[in-house]
Amino acid sequence: MTTFQVKFTMASDTRYLPVVRGAVGALTAAIGWDEAECRAIVLALDEALANIIRHAYHGRSDGLIELECRESADGLEISTLDTGEPPDPSRICAREVGSDKPGGLGTLIIRDVMDSVSYHRTESGNRFLAVKRLRKEP
Amino acid sequence: MTISMRDVGLAKIVEVDGDVDLGTSGTLRRTLFAALPQTSVLALNLAAIRYIDSSGIATLIEVLNDSRRLNKQFVLFGLSTAVEEVFRLTHVLRIFRIVQTEQEAVGAA
Repeated sequence: MTTFQVKFTMASDTRYLPVVRGAVGALTAAIGWDEAECRAIVLALDEALANIIRHAYHGRSDGLIELECRESADGLEISTLDTGEPPDPSRICAREVGSDKPGGLGTLIIRDVMDSVSYHRTESGNRFLAVKRLRKEP
Repeated sequence: MTISMRDVGLAKIVEVDGDVDLGTSGTLRRTLFAALPQTSVLALNLAAIRYIDSSGIATLIEVLNDSRRLNKQFVLFGLSTAVEEVFRLTHVLRIFRIVQTEQEAVGAA
């Protein structure tokens, strides 16, 4: 089956976040999610990229981010690769529901929206993988 | 993102237009923190926000916490469907005072 795959190689610069949001929003709509789901998936991806910029590159805008979005047989696979500081698994925590503390919101969004999420340290850098499945009406 | 501000009675109305993300939320944060001590009610119109991410929501939580410390009112109004979805995803709808209109927001004074 021929599907769609898009790859971005971008600097860790927040100026490019709207570009990615526009492109991936169009892809999620083409795959078949409704408007609200498209917005949620785009938000989750944006949060993953923001985490890389903030935590892996500490706000530097000259880091390298590779992003790949691939339509799969049952949805969308998202993969990012960066060469910044590896994430500390003990510090990746979602915000507690009902808390008035501002931290952990991005992780909460990513985990709520995506069906599976994983982080790996590889020889090439830090790899983030996320999958969203398209639930077809019976 | 563009931000404008005006006084209505004892309240300050802040209008935000555009995307609030990691690249712009710092500007919004500085604006709101500067305005808060100068008013009894800070009302933020979210109607023209096309996109908001967790850094924008975190900014609003910080301002809310500071408003409590300073004994000020921080009120949100004009939430679009897209913005409300992000509030829902981050489970913060109930921690803010959210009203429909500017009149209601100003009425908090």
